[in-house]
Parts: sequence; structure tokens; C-alpha cells
Amino acid sequence: MLRRHLMLAAPALLAAATARAEQRFPSMSMFIPAGPGGGWDGLGRAIEQVARGAGLVGTFQFENIGGAGGTVGLPRFVASKRGRGDALMVSGSIMVGSVLTNKTPVGLQNVTPVARLTEEADVIVVPASSPIQDIRGFLAAMKANPGGTSIAGGSAGGTDHIALGLVLKALGHSARQGSYVAFAGGGPAQAAILGAQVSAGMSGLSEFAEQIKAGRMRALATTGATRSDPAIPTLKESGVEVVITNWRGTFAPPGVRPEALAKLVALMQEMHALPAWAEMLKTRDWADAFMVGEAFAAFLDRDRAQTEAVLKEIGLA
Amino acid sequence: MSAWDGLALGFGHALTLSNLGWALLGCFLGTAVGVLPGIGPALTIALLLPITFQVEATGAFILFCGIFYGAMYGGSTTSILLNTPGESGSIITALEGAKMARNGRAGPALATAAIGSFVAGTIGTLGISFLGPVVVEFALKLGPAEYFSLMVLCFVTVSAVLGGSALRGLTSLAFGLLLGLVGIDLQTGQPRMTFGIPELLDGVNVVLVAVALFAVGETLFLAWRHNNQKAEVRPVGSIMMSRDDWKRSWKPWLRGSFLGFPFGVMPAGGTEMPTMLSYYAERKLVAPEHAAEFGTTGAIEGVAGPEAANNAAAAGILVPMLTLGLPTSATAAIMLSAFQSYGINPGPMLFEQQSALVWTLIASLYVANIMLVVLNLPLVGLWARILKIPQPQLYAGILVFATIGTYGISNSVIDLVLLYGIGVVAMFMRRFDFPTAPVVIGMILGPMAEQAMRQALTISQGDWGTFVTRPGSAALLVVALLALVGPRVWGAVRRG
Amino acid sequence: MHDLARADLKVGGFVLALGGLALWQAAEIPVSPLYGQVGPKAVPYGVAAVLALLGAGLVVQALRGGWSHTLEEVQDAAPTNWRALVLLGAGLLANVALIGPQGFCLAASVQFVLVAAAFGSSRMGRDAALALVLTLAVWFGFVMLLGVNIGAGLLEGSILRLLGQELP
Repeated sequence: MLRRHLMLAAPALLAAATARAEQRFPSMSMFIPAGPGGGWDGLGRAIEQVARGAGLVGTFQFENIGGAGGTVGLPRFVASKRGRGDALMVSGSIMVGSVLTNKTPVGLQNVTPVARLTEEADVIVVPASSPIQDIRGFLAAMKANPGGTSIAGGSAGGTDHIALGLVLKALGHSARQGSYVAFAGGGPAQAAILGAQVSAGMSGLSEFAEQIKAGRMRALATTGATRSDPAIPTLKESGVEVVITNWRGTFAPPGVRPEALAKLVALMQEMHALPAWAEMLKTRDWADAFMVGEAFAAFLDRDRAQTEAVLKEIGLA
Repeated sequence: MSAWDGLALGFGHALTLSNLGWALLGCFLGTAVGVLPGIGPALTIALLLPITFQVEATGAFILFCGIFYGAMYGGSTTSILLNTPGESGSIITALEGAKMARNGRAGPALATAAIGSFVAGTIGTLGISFLGPVVVEFALKLGPAEYFSLMVLCFVTVSAVLGGSALRGLTSLAFGLLLGLVGIDLQTGQPRMTFGIPELLDGVNVVLVAVALFAVGETLFLAWRHNNQKAEVRPVGSIMMSRDDWKRSWKPWLRGSFLGFPFGVMPAGGTEMPTMLSYYAERKLVAPEHAAEFGTTGAIEGVAGPEAANNAAAAGILVPMLTLGLPTSATAAIMLSAFQSYGINPGPMLFEQQSALVWTLIASLYVANIMLVVLNLPLVGLWARILKIPQPQLYAGILVFATIGTYGISNSVIDLVLLYGIGVVAMFMRRFDFPTAPVVIGMILGPMAEQAMRQALTISQGDWGTFVTRPGSAALLVVALLALVGPRVWGAVRRG
Repeated sequence: MHDLARADLKVGGFVLALGGLALWQAAEIPVSPLYGQVGPKAVPYGVAAVLALLGAGLVVQALRGGWSHTLEEVQDAAPTNWRALVLLGAGLLANVALIGPQGFCLAASVQFVLVAAAFGSSRMGRDAALALVLTLAVWFGFVMLLGVNIGAGLLEGSILRLLGQELP
């Protein structure tokens, strides 16, 4: 396990400068089931920054155990933190998928949902030189010949692939029929789209946003419930009943007492209400997707069902 | 803003005391982590990401770039001295470098690596400053079909390291291909060759395998035949490069640089492929009187070329990141996320919107490069003295060292078991004369070639003709054929 | 059959078995229904088959007398040093076993002492001192510079406490 505590630059300096709220936790252990530098790690660090800055939490101990979409770390969190009210794990939609694909015995049902914090919609893009002008053109092409339109995205079974599967299902095809070209990492996928090696691409909006702004890619539609960018329509508006986002949130270990869980939820609510959090969301370009309690648990069930349906069709669940 | 104005602006910012300090700290940290196998610049920068909350953007990026360049220098040092590559781009350097060190030529090997890195780093940074956008536009024209053909070309390199028997050499290659298959298949998400072990789902790390094959295997083999009476003393020899060393090094430096930079720029390129091609080229181009040194006592050309290729490629990797916002390597991806935590969105407009930052960053690459060569050359003598450590403590140290990198970050005992297990296999490979280099080459190229092939075939909807009807791909396949049979035909012609 | 050739035969058999193992694992890969032209199994089958073929080739070569007798290094090799091999193996095993529960410094130091002994060092006390200094320096370097704790145990924890710091 990788425990981190940065001494190189003392974070306490900054913390002292801002207004302090009442301390809720003297210390909190933050478990990241992924390596440093990724999206989950980024969210965990952002929580640390805001919660410590406001004095809600004294110190954070980070622990990173990466591997296999979080399924290597998850069982360790469940085993080592069981019943502890001062531990959080960052996770999200990627893990909903990886638990299903890797068929691991320990899943998100073994941890306690605390709060959903951020989300990011996928965007469907085509190269600037593409004959496809808008989402209608794209849907028509997909409906006529799903295999003829090659679509670049992240690894198979990930959010991009599931989003494509949902679109295909909505068009009356099977999720397995698309010509999905998986790339390792955003760079090679973007390069393939910019160079018009593929017909279209799907990935998180922030990954493509700058290419869209620069006019090198044409955005056709986003996959959120509402518009992520006022200029880009959603799939729903275009008559395709597909809503899928890459969401991230926090979870507590299994077996936490109800009052301990309530305290963690309250911490998330307090942090979410801080102006510093709003500021953080703005700098990072994260969409606010705050949701706690029953609503979050119900959302989690829906998300799992939707993901599982696609994964089953593409032979991964 | 022209490149000259940009550079003037950039140097103005980069040469302030605090920014020089960040560059120095970066170079130091980078060298330190570059030396450690398994801990690379990407991970180091990821670990240091939280400083983006405290340090202003320019300083942080100068630090990161120093780490990136420093790791490239550090990676070669242990490759040469201890046969323990610190980074995947330094694996090929170990082939000739470690042999030179064993034969009392550690000093010249380290020096040619350091100076070659400087030459290549400078050429690469000049490339970033003046050619960046043009090269990237060209690189975007390469699709999966071309990448596949390019990897076929790189596979030709294996023929230079097969050793005494093609049968045994190819067995090594197949073993490497097998190791490369372990993990989740990118295209379909299915687990392969994992034996149901979750830790294997992300595949086996190539640096771990290289360290196991080169360092652990070697140590085990020596223990197997160890004779307590006869303590082997490794000669340290001259520290400086002789006039002849210079004469033999400068062309490989340049060839390596010009080979490496474009590979770095390619979105699916990386630092490994050009080092292989450079090694192959140097082995074929070496003057006949030195040809026998390859694979025996160690040829300086085989260190100078790949090291230069590695560093030029590392510089090239920054080009798509700075000009298009494309993260084409793990390090670039982490740096991009650092941009985001400053609210800077890296993309095609980065050069215009953040010109001061970008040019300062480029200027500090020149600075870091000079710092590194100034720091590293005087250290050559000190490093080379490591070989004077008595054998028991030296080998014990090497194993501890391999452990730090492997276990330190992943904290996975499975990784340690793999390291030692593959080390035992390597011990037997050594005894039965199976070359180890093809394992690493197969492991690096195999997965890339397979994915590129399947991506190309999905795009072409199953038409295998795509590899020969696309002109770029066809041309590369022809070059591969020429590289394979050309030297033989040329040799036959020369013999008359 | 000559001893050396018998050893070569074992190697050929091992490669053949590895090929067989790979074929079995390739067969275990689930068939993907995805619209792909080359599935996840094709290349693994190919690699496994080639490996098995090469193994068969090595077996044939071994039966014809093998290759070890042509290797100079094998001919003038010293006899197997069992003491060294056992000590070294013990060092590696000790590291694997101890690194989790006892932390990096202790595990790596035990390994260092055993490996040095394998190579003929007789001053175990000095080796142990050297190893502890070395590993502790590395450990603190990581903690201080990168904020990474590369596996802490009792030793690291108590030294930190002596310095008046909490384990990060």
C-alpha cells in the first residue's frame, strides 16, 4: 500500500490562511483504489485540500492501491477498514463496470455509499473534416450500418464503450455491433480522431473540450441528463433515451454505525457548501453532481443495472 | 510570436534564481528516481502533484520537466553499472553498457551516455522549439495500420540479439511475447493468461522483467557457480573517453537523436522503439574492426546510439503535449492533469494562451539539460567506483535495489514473487545460452503490435489489405524487409 | 545419454510444457462476441503454438546430443555451489515473507546479509549494520522527498517516534 504524506511543501501553510470551521474529524484516512495522478486520486486530493483548508478535518492519511479498475484495492479497503467511521474511499462509475467485468466477489454492494460528488458526461465527436455534420447524421449512419462507423474511445468495457452500447441499443441494435476501437489512454485516441483515422470518437467532455474549441473536432452530442456545454445538444434532446456519465464519489467501509455514517454524510454536505469547493469544481472543470443517502443508493442501483445490461451484451458480465 | 521571441521571453523567466532552483531540484529528484527501477518520472510527478496547490505554475512545471529529463539520465547509469535498467527506455542501453562496465570501460560508457543524452536532449529541445507543430501534423497522418508496420520494422531488431542459435533466440522472443499477453485485452476487455490472479489483470511491468532477467538472473547465476577462493575483481579502467571513443560516438549520437525525436512525437511512439532501431542500426553500421565488440566486450556505439535515441524521444514526447494537448505517454498525461489543476486547459491553443508559461518551460528544458550534463560528467568517476565494492556487498546491494523499485510503489508481494521467479528462469536461460534481450523486445513490441493490428482491422472492417494499400504502411513494410535482408545482400555483394 | 544432453532435454521439455500451459490459458479466454475482426484469442493461440513448436524443436535438438556441450562457459564452469544458492534463495524468500509484516528495512536487511553471505562475506555483523544504514537512508529518502512510505514496520515506526513524528 502506498501511504502518502507530503512533507516537501507543507500544506498546513495554506490551510492556516482560510477561515476555519468546527473540526469534525481530527484525522481521516482516505483510500484511493488507484495509483497517484488519476481521476480518483485527484478527487481525493481535492477533498483533502478543501476540507483541511476549512478546518473540517485535521489531517488526511492517503493510501493508494491501484490495479484492475479499482478491484485490487476494494477488497483491501473492505477488510482493513471494516466498521471504521473515519475512513473514506473514492470511487465511481469505473468501478461499477470493473467489478462486473472482473467478476470479483467483493463489489460496491460491500461498501457504504456516502456521497456522489462530481460527474462528467461523454461527448460524441467527429473529425473536423468528417461528412457527418450533426447528431442526426451520426445516428442515421449508426442506424443504417453500425459496423461501418468506427468509433475511438478508452478501454473496452469502460464508460465510453458502455455509452456507445447504450446508443446502439436505443437505435434497436445490439451493443456488440459497433466498430469500437479501444485505445490505451486519451492521447492516442485523440490523435486517431484528429488524424481522421476513425470516423468518430467518444470520451469525457473535458478530454476533447479544447480540440472542440479549436475547431479540430466537431462535437455532436453529450450524454448527460442536461447540457454540459450550452452549445452541444444532449442525446436525450435528439430523441435517444440515453443518459450516462462518469461519476465519482465517496464510500465508507462496511459495517459503519448509522451515526458514524451520518457524520460522514454531514462532512460531505458541509464541504460541498463551502465556496472553496465551488471554486475547486470550477478550476477542475468538474460538474457538480452532489447526491447523498437514499437518492445516491438508488442511483447506484440504476447505474449498475444499466452498466450490466450493456456489459452482458458485449460479453463482459 | 516567433520561436526566437518566445525563447528570449522564456529564458528571461527561466533564469531567475527561484526557477533555476526548481530546475536543479527537478534534475536531482529525476536522477534519483531514474536510477531506481520501477519508479519512473510519471509516478514521481504524480506523487508531487499536490504541490500544485502551493507552488505557482511556472515553478511546478520547471520542476516536473527537470524530473522528466533527469530520469532519462539516471536510467542509463544503473543500466550500465549494475545491468539494472531504471526505465524502459534504458533497457537497450544495458545490452552493451553493462558489458563495457564489466570489461573495465564503465567510465567511457557512462560518459558517452551522458554526453549523448546532452546532445540528443539539445537536438530534441531545438526540435520542440522550431519544428514541433509541423512534425505533429505529420505524425497525425499515421494510423494504427502504419503503427503496426512500424512495429514489424522494429521486430527486425531481434535478429541482432538472437545470439548463437536462432532456435534458442526465438524461444526467448516467444517467451517475451507470452509475458506481454498477460492482462486485460484492451480491445475486448477479456482477461488473458492471468490464472485468475487479480494483480495480473493490469499486466506485467516490462521494467520489472528487465531487472529480473538482467540483474536478478545474473546474480543467481553467479551464486550458482560461485567459488569462494577466487574473488573476481572488476577492473575500473580509465574514466575519460579517449579520442577514439569520441570518434566512435559522435555519429551514433546524431543518428540516435534524429531517430528518437520523431518517435517521441508520434502519438503511439514512445522511447523504446527508437532505442531498438538505433541499436540495430549501430550494430549494422559499425566499423568492421569493432564489430566483434558487440555482445562480447561491449561496443561504445551500442551505448551512444540508444541513449541518444532515448533522450531525443523523451523530448519529442513533450511536442504533442505542448502543441495539441495530447498526452501520449504516462508522464505527459500526468503533466496535463497538473495543467488542469491550475485551471489551464492544455490544447491546441496552449501556445497562444499561455505563451509565457510554455516558452519558460521550453527554456528550462535547455537549462535542465545543461545542468544534467554538468552534474553527471563529474559524477562518472564516483559512479564507476561503485564497481569497486566487494562482490558480496555489491550483489546484495543490487538485489535490495531491485526490491525497492518493485515493491516500494506497488506494495505487491506478487510483484516480488514475479521478480524473483523470472530471475530464476533467467538464471537457467544464462546457463543454457538463451539470450535475454529478445524477451524484453518481444514483451515491449508484442502487445503494441497486436493492438495496432486489431485496431487497424476494426477500422478497415476486416480488410487485411489495409496494411499494403495504405502508402505509409506499405512503405514501412518495405523498409522492414530491406532492413532484414539488406545487410545480408550487401555483405554478399561486398564479399563479391 | 550424456548428462549435459539430459539437462538440455529438460529445458526443451520445460519450454514445451510452457507452450502447453499457454495453450490452456488461451483456451480459457472467454470468446468475445464483440464486432471485432481478430478476437482476443487469436494472438495468444499463435504465441502458444509457436512456443510449443520451439519447445519441440529444442527437444529434438537435445535428443540429437543437445547444445550445452558446445558452450565454453559450461565446460569450464565451477561445480554448483549449493551453499551459495541456498543462502541466496533464503534471502529472497525471507524478503518476500518479511516485507509485509516487518516492513521494508528489516526485510531488505535480512536479504542483504544472506546474499552477502552467499557470496562469501564472513562478517555478518558489519553487513547487517551496513544494510540497516542503507535501507533506512533509502526509506527516509522516500518519506521525506516524495512523501511515499514504501512499507513501514516496527523499526521505521519506532525511529519516527524517536524523532517525535507520527507514522505518515
